[in-house]
Amino acid sequence: MATPDLPTITQEDRQDIFLKVRDLTKKFPLVLANDHISFDVRKGEIHCFLGENGAGKSTLAECLYGFYSPDSGEILINGQRVRLNSPLDAINDGIGMVHQHFMLVDVLTVVENVMLSIHSGKIFLDYSEAESKLEGLCKAYGVDLDLHAKIWQLSVGEQQWVEILKALYVGVNLLILDEPTASLTPQESERLFSVLQKMKVQGLSIIFITHKLKEVMAVSDRVTVLCKGKKVATVDTSKVTLEELATMMVGREVLFRVKKTDTTRGEPILIVEQLRANNDMGRLAVDGINLTLHHGEILGLAGVAGNGLKELFEVLFGLRKATGGKIFLAGKDVTNLSPGAIKRKGIGNIPEDRFKMGVIPDFSVSENLILGQHRHTEYLRLGFLNEKQIRHDAEKSISEFDIMTPSIDHPIKFLSGGNVQKVILARELRLDPSVLLANQPTRGLDVGVIEFFHQRLLEKRSMGVGILLASEDLDELLELSDRIAVVFRGQITGLFDIQDAHRDEIGLLMAGIGGV
Amino acid sequence: MIADIFKNYKIEERQNASIYTKVGFFILAIVMSLIISFILIRYAGADVKDAAKSLFTGAFGGKRELIESLIKATPLILTGLATVVAFKARIWNIGQEGQLFAGAMMGYWIYLIADTQFVWLNIILAIIGGFIGGALCGWIPALLKVYFKVDEVLSTVIINYIMAYFLSFMLSATGPWRQADSFYQQTPLIADNAHWPLLFEGYRLHFGFVVALIAAFIMYLIMSKTPLGYEIRAFGSNPSAAEAQGISSSKLFMIIMIISGGLSGLAGAGELFGAELRLSSRISPGYGFTGIIIAMVAGLNPIGVIVAAILFGGLLNGAVRLQVVTGVPSALISVIQAMVLVFVLISRVLTSYRIRRIKNVA
Repeated sequence: MATPDLPTITQEDRQDIFLKVRDLTKKFPLVLANDHISFDVRKGEIHCFLGENGAGKSTLAECLYGFYSPDSGEILINGQRVRLNSPLDAINDGIGMVHQHFMLVDVLTVVENVMLSIHSGKIFLDYSEAESKLEGLCKAYGVDLDLHAKIWQLSVGEQQWVEILKALYVGVNLLILDEPTASLTPQESERLFSVLQKMKVQGLSIIFITHKLKEVMAVSDRVTVLCKGKKVATVDTSKVTLEELATMMVGREVLFRVKKTDTTRGEPILIVEQLRANNDMGRLAVDGINLTLHHGEILGLAGVAGNGLKELFEVLFGLRKATGGKIFLAGKDVTNLSPGAIKRKGIGNIPEDRFKMGVIPDFSVSENLILGQHRHTEYLRLGFLNEKQIRHDAEKSISEFDIMTPSIDHPIKFLSGGNVQKVILARELRLDPSVLLANQPTRGLDVGVIEFFHQRLLEKRSMGVGILLASEDLDELLELSDRIAVVFRGQITGLFDIQDAHRDEIGLLMAGIGGV
Repeated sequence: MIADIFKNYKIEERQNASIYTKVGFFILAIVMSLIISFILIRYAGADVKDAAKSLFTGAFGGKRELIESLIKATPLILTGLATVVAFKARIWNIGQEGQLFAGAMMGYWIYLIADTQFVWLNIILAIIGGFIGGALCGWIPALLKVYFKVDEVLSTVIINYIMAYFLSFMLSATGPWRQADSFYQQTPLIADNAHWPLLFEGYRLHFGFVVALIAAFIMYLIMSKTPLGYEIRAFGSNPSAAEAQGISSSKLFMIIMIISGGLSGLAGAGELFGAELRLSSRISPGYGFTGIIIAMVAGLNPIGVIVAAILFGGLLNGAVRLQVVTGVPSALISVIQAMVLVFVLISRVLTSYRIRRIKNVA
């Protein structure tokens, strides 16, 4: 354990340290989110906050950004005590933040969103100035972004850049990034890391919140490890190993590899022929995709956001109309059926955006567990919902899937992402699907939950379920898949058996370099 | 200075507000809105004590007054329920007024062509006719929305006008329904055997009140205990997920608008066959619009709608007494209603958020 920082500030500290936090405590009605946390951030340093979901990383960051007010403790910037009562205070003191859930206005363009965060005091907005400044920033950091695209037309990865540009535009001294790589490809993450290094050289301090150990090792100078609201330690990254950090973070040793049993690939179950579909902007996003998924197989799909994976999954699940091609499930044509019909035919779906497409936030855990199955005979009695059966099955799912919730009546919006994802998985598997579609199923989840998820997927695979798995985490695909297909600009540009799949080759294909 | 005071406080979301807090704030909201209203009455030149007394006795002062308030509450319960079912799904049906008239007109038309002597058959036909008339009027905006993406706010408002003018046409000098040799735009009186029975000897409270209470109970069951209510609530909370998990939004939209319109139509039929006994534009002095306010005041709860509707029914009658006794125009009732809505909405914010003092931060 680290010794608590002493409350005295030496002259030396004043010059070197941008931000200092002493004994910061933040309580919520049921949890102690931050328990007497002390640490400091130097000028020109990349400082990681590492911890599992619920460890208090985001709360700590929100306190620094003025979003929450700490119950006690103090924050010093350049040796001066400050009070941060709102994000505006924080921005004025040179602290900017990019949230995990983006704070962008969907119907406005990139430029307009950036302008929203500026308080120039002028009556008229100077678009051309903002535009040229943004173009300069994009160029300087090598960001390829259509500044006049509306936010809803951008991929999650591109929206992330808008958020970062917003902070850079205002000109902050400390940039807080909350799980910034959760939606980026390996290459995009690399690019982000190199941009961060450039910023660091220019004297910018960066707080980088993550639960991915590899990122900590790759990007940070120092790391503060949090566990259950308490600080475990602040250490120099160069002086620790990945395994040591993992043990600090979780409080136990972590299994990094799940066991994959050998199975023989069964008969084809899902066949996709020359599938074509448009994106929201009406442009061709899925451009003649052919796929064959077999029983007992995990087919991995690798692709960068914006290359048609989202649209492909939406078409497969009936949420988007195919403009051409066919989808066959067990020999029967299921092209352009409704989501309900497709689900009844035995396709389970774990959607990319779990909060938006997967659950009803205001509904309780038990209500969410029957979503889409609420008209099945086992949940009905004389036309009414069979409360007893619903509760019974909910209790069963909660213990079977180890869902952490105060009760089955708790609104799901108060649950963590990992537990929400478990609810969705429990619900989809209850129907015994023959095909499971999973787009980014472990994005933003804890190491422990990911481990659980992987085991479940492999378990279903050995039971003969065909699983179509897309992930922006290439390591995850290499670990789980039997075959990997690379999707670039709406087409499949490479298909590998797992023993022939190489990380670098796939990475290049994802970026559109090499291959066919 | 003031900015400094604000800096010491912060607004936070409450995790769980108890039922006592909610009821307490609701009562506080009603009291506050009445206080503001009495200040206005004071400025209108009336004695506040007289005004308060006449408003209250006019509303709930005795058995007769209470029953008169229930008569007023009858259509309000139904239009309130019509709003609840639509707004719960975040479908902004504000065509209750037009749907009410459509229900009354369909009821009247069926009454004319059926021309039957059996009292109960007449009642059943009136209920079915009223529901169908309103439901048709709700279904049309739903079709426009599903097939042509026409915003339901626009289409339902337009249909309010269409129905009002259609009724006016039917009752015009050349219209088929106008009472011959009458100076007014109205139909002849409904035949005795088509009147809805009265609930108590000597009082005007009619069978429509029972219909409204049953409707409220059925809506409560539908909303909280059936798969349909589940879908309505799911759709209102997150339409994308509802659709993605197999709930057909276009089908649901039509079902909701048919139920919502039908309930308003029932209100129209009740007023025609229970209270007014002849068709004219007088069957609704804005019951459809007041129903929207009532649903909001009731927090979109079907049982709460009964309470809110009786409260508002009482206010309507109290305002008439207020005018007679003190000379304050009864139009002031719109102001009081608006005050109640505003303060209840404020109280709802107060029950879901709290103000907290920030301490110990330098």
